[in-house]
Amino acid sequence: MVILRWLAYTVILSIFTDHDVIMPNTIRIVLILLFIIAQPRFVFAQNKKTVNGNVTDAKTGETLIGASVKLIGSITAGAVTNAYGFYSINTQEGIYEISVSFIGYKTIKQNLNVTKDTRINFVLEEDNQLNEVVIAASKRNENVSNPQMGLQKIDMKDINNVPVLLGERDVLKTLQLLPGIKSAGEGNSGFYVRGGATDQNLILLDEAPVYNASHLLGFFSTFNSDAIKDVSVYKGGMPAQYGGRLASVLDIKMNDGNRKTYTVEGGIGLISSRLKAEGPIVKDKGSFMVSARRTYLDAFLKLSPDSSINSNTLYFYDFNAKANYQIDDKNTLYLSGYFGRDKLGIADTFGFNWGNATVTLRWNHLYSNRLFSNTSLIYSNYNYVIQNFMEENDFEVNSSIKDFNLKQDFEYSLSNSHNLKFGVNAIHHTIAPGKLTASETSSVNQTTYEDRKGLELATYISDEWTVNDRMNIVYGLRLSSFSLMGPGNIKSYNAEGNIIDTKAYKAGEFVKSYFNLEPRVSASYQLTNSSSLKGAYTRNIQNVHLMSNSTSTSPTDVYIMNSNNVKPEIADQVALGYFRNFNDNSYEFSAEVYYKWMQNQIEYRSGTDLRGNGNVEADLLYGDGRAYGLELFFKKRFGRFNGWVGYTWSRTERQFDAINNGKWFYAKQDRTHDLSLVGIYKASQRWTFSSVFVYNTGNAVTYPSGKYQINDRTVFYYTEKNGYRTPAYHRLDVAATLEGKPGKRLQSSWSFGIYNLYNRQNAFSIDFKDNPDDPTKTEVVRTTLFGMIPSVTWNFKF
Amino acid sequence: MRPILFIVLFAGMLLSGCEKVIELKLDNSNPVLVIDGGINDQNENQVVKISKTYSFTEPNKFNGVSEAKVVVTRPNGSTVTYTEVSPGVYQSVKTRGVPSNKYILNVTVDGKIYTATSTMPAKVVLDSLTFKQFNLFGKLSTYIAVNYNDPVDAVNQYRYILKAKGKIEEDMVSDDRFNNGNKVADAIFYKLEDLKQGDSLAVEFQCVDPNVYRYFYSLKQSSGQAGPPVAPSNPISNFNNGALGIFNAYTTSKRTAVIK
Repeated sequence: MVILRWLAYTVILSIFTDHDVIMPNTIRIVLILLFIIAQPRFVFAQNKKTVNGNVTDAKTGETLIGASVKLIGSITAGAVTNAYGFYSINTQEGIYEISVSFIGYKTIKQNLNVTKDTRINFVLEEDNQLNEVVIAASKRNENVSNPQMGLQKIDMKDINNVPVLLGERDVLKTLQLLPGIKSAGEGNSGFYVRGGATDQNLILLDEAPVYNASHLLGFFSTFNSDAIKDVSVYKGGMPAQYGGRLASVLDIKMNDGNRKTYTVEGGIGLISSRLKAEGPIVKDKGSFMVSARRTYLDAFLKLSPDSSINSNTLYFYDFNAKANYQIDDKNTLYLSGYFGRDKLGIADTFGFNWGNATVTLRWNHLYSNRLFSNTSLIYSNYNYVIQNFMEENDFEVNSSIKDFNLKQDFEYSLSNSHNLKFGVNAIHHTIAPGKLTASETSSVNQTTYEDRKGLELATYISDEWTVNDRMNIVYGLRLSSFSLMGPGNIKSYNAEGNIIDTKAYKAGEFVKSYFNLEPRVSASYQLTNSSSLKGAYTRNIQNVHLMSNSTSTSPTDVYIMNSNNVKPEIADQVALGYFRNFNDNSYEFSAEVYYKWMQNQIEYRSGTDLRGNGNVEADLLYGDGRAYGLELFFKKRFGRFNGWVGYTWSRTERQFDAINNGKWFYAKQDRTHDLSLVGIYKASQRWTFSSVFVYNTGNAVTYPSGKYQINDRTVFYYTEKNGYRTPAYHRLDVAATLEGKPGKRLQSSWSFGIYNLYNRQNAFSIDFKDNPDDPTKTEVVRTTLFGMIPSVTWNFKF
Repeated sequence: MRPILFIVLFAGMLLSGCEKVIELKLDNSNPVLVIDGGINDQNENQVVKISKTYSFTEPNKFNGVSEAKVVVTRPNGSTVTYTEVSPGVYQSVKTRGVPSNKYILNVTVDGKIYTATSTMPAKVVLDSLTFKQFNLFGKLSTYIAVNYNDPVDAVNQYRYILKAKGKIEEDMVSDDRFNNGNKVADAIFYKLEDLKQGDSLAVEFQCVDPNVYRYFYSLKQSSGQAGPPVAPSNPISNFNNGALGIFNAYTTSKRTAVIK
């Protein structure tokens, strides 16, 4: 196969050549690509027919993502619906049995006589009889047969049942209960995937990148689960259409809105309330969904008699909205948006607010029965504002990152064994590191730090190839480029961090460009009907980097782009896995091992100050990383009792010439053991009980190995970087949900939860300080953030 | 410019984390040499302190190192020798440094020479101390502020050392990144509430070179007192040969205030 040869060629090329040298080859590759597409064998043979259409939910009209459609007859062919619920199968004329299935839905089976290209839509009914034995046909073994590796999906129903902090359902926190995905800290919605840092996750909400996915300093995610339809996370083996981050892709899709009837649902919880409304714009043609959430922690602050508390502000809100309209069989438009903001104020002294805004406009178009196209126009913005009202020192800081993004994706069913995806993507970034304004009387000077502009261009092609009944391969290639653009005075630094050159560039001028090839291969070989082996190799590139030298993430962390000194981060990952289902696909088991090499990773010199630092690159250090581990996953998928066990053993290390004497050290996201147990028990039609237990090895941290005196004050002496561990973390949460009596117009439910049931005092931070009562002694102080916390939420729907 | 500090404090207050003193097993590293001292622009006995690191569990002490040779070299090549006055504490005869001069400190311990250089910056004088009231967290609190005029044509780094009742309570650095050329009134966020009438406050105001600024900034950052907690590390010393500490050629001015 030509593509395979081409792929092999580029893999070798990208591994063995310096990236700047690849440039002349890119033209050759584009030529090869054109050549492949133009090949006669790619022209469709006329005796073949296409069956395509949409799969939707019977009650709401929502499109179903990932539903399986299978034709069984003289030949067997199948497809899975894409992100828009569309499928397309190539087959021959003949009589088939067509079967459509989706987890949690009743399977449809019917006979189909294919004599011409056929468009057939399916409407699936939800299967609520979870406690009964589900008919065998809907127990799919996709996890075994799908060539995609490292993909984990979260069922939105699980998110509603799993206990969480303060009863706030949270996609990102439920995600952290899966193997290979680790929490960045107590109650934190930041996460580490296979040794990656929090900024190495590509978080997409309806294709729009979300730069800061957390509220309230990390305790809540920006994703209101009411508005979310589908959550997929790729830990490895990312398909070629995704790019831009090293460690993972979290692809979140919002609900389209009910196309049948109007519904309103919501919830009232301890710290927030939510409301969602949806309904048809034109019945069965278009729909809308709006969803909002706001916390009222500040209302509680107001109740406090203490003036040091009641004069403060602290809340966040989210607003999700989406509308879609099906113009005709071939054209559908989608418009979706997100707007969220955190506001914090300390009396009349200080104000701070931050948030994301995203808008996505999409157009689905069917060029032919086998060529599906989606065009997306995306806007994404993250900014923060800090205001200081203190007299003589007043100031305001504004900082933002803003993207305009154009994506063109095609899906082409080439034959019943080849499905092509290809497309192009252009992203224009503007980073405004900070604009400092102040009044005339302030001692603070007005300053504006130069904006930085960058352009990311990418093109990709990938093929899902069903080699035979047992073997499937998804292989592809992504060619990505990044260019730093003017205007601006661009500096270059030497290894010591001193400026060696400053050059002025005009608007639109290219300062520095990087080109990279990112090969992606993921393959599965089915050993038996219920077991398979999978393997994957992925290269990922990251051109935008988060600057954060603190131990936790902060809303004021700034992004920088590649420059003369900052090079694209590169990760190469190989993974192998064994997948096995038991008991007629009722139980699912997987074991995956991975090894990842990372280049051009970033750390900071000691004493780096990121505030208003126009020369931040002078303080950066560059080095390598490596991560490896084993992930085990066992899930009971059906029955009154279901749930899963996830376990990860892993290592994440870094090597920088200027840190730790050039020796490898544990990265802060290194955790040896990580265990999650999740159990959900449907006791009756109305009561559901659930429980979560987590255990993980403490983080790698730097603690003192001695002390000394400077200017009569105690100072700690550190030896090895991240040579110590925080105490192990573990916690048990429980929850119960009581559904209202069925059959009423107003359906309601109560959720009760207890976070940290046995009140484990987990360390949020460990500090070393002189004893305030006896200055001759130094002590170790552990701070615990969350002890046992009960919660209650009332949810309703009508 | 310490908004981040407020956020951390604020979050901490809301979440009112539970603090507990715990036992933690820490390694005992081999002792390392620490040199702390310098030369200023006042005609006085200049001091250099030499000590060694010691175990975390030991009571705090000055672990002085005796019999070291301590010599400061002026730009013209002349030298000042510091003599030991108590274990680990070395003093020069009365002498003063001159702004814009570069000084070299050589310390010899057990035959090994440790060298550092520091350039004394141009002098900025501490004009006055004032009391400032801030409405922090809705409570009116009083802090002491240092007042000075930052020169417009230079990049300046400052160090403030606050002593309350003779004890050092705050040792911090600041620069003119955000307020170059302005009249500055910078508050030192040390709580004065516990002080009584008649208690004295003294602030030493130093002008320091960029390496010294970064040393003390880094020290503060590692202790989590300069914004969000940063993974701690040893501040970059201006000594070679692996010695910890800092050699500081600085200008100094002092002001005192009494609580009324």
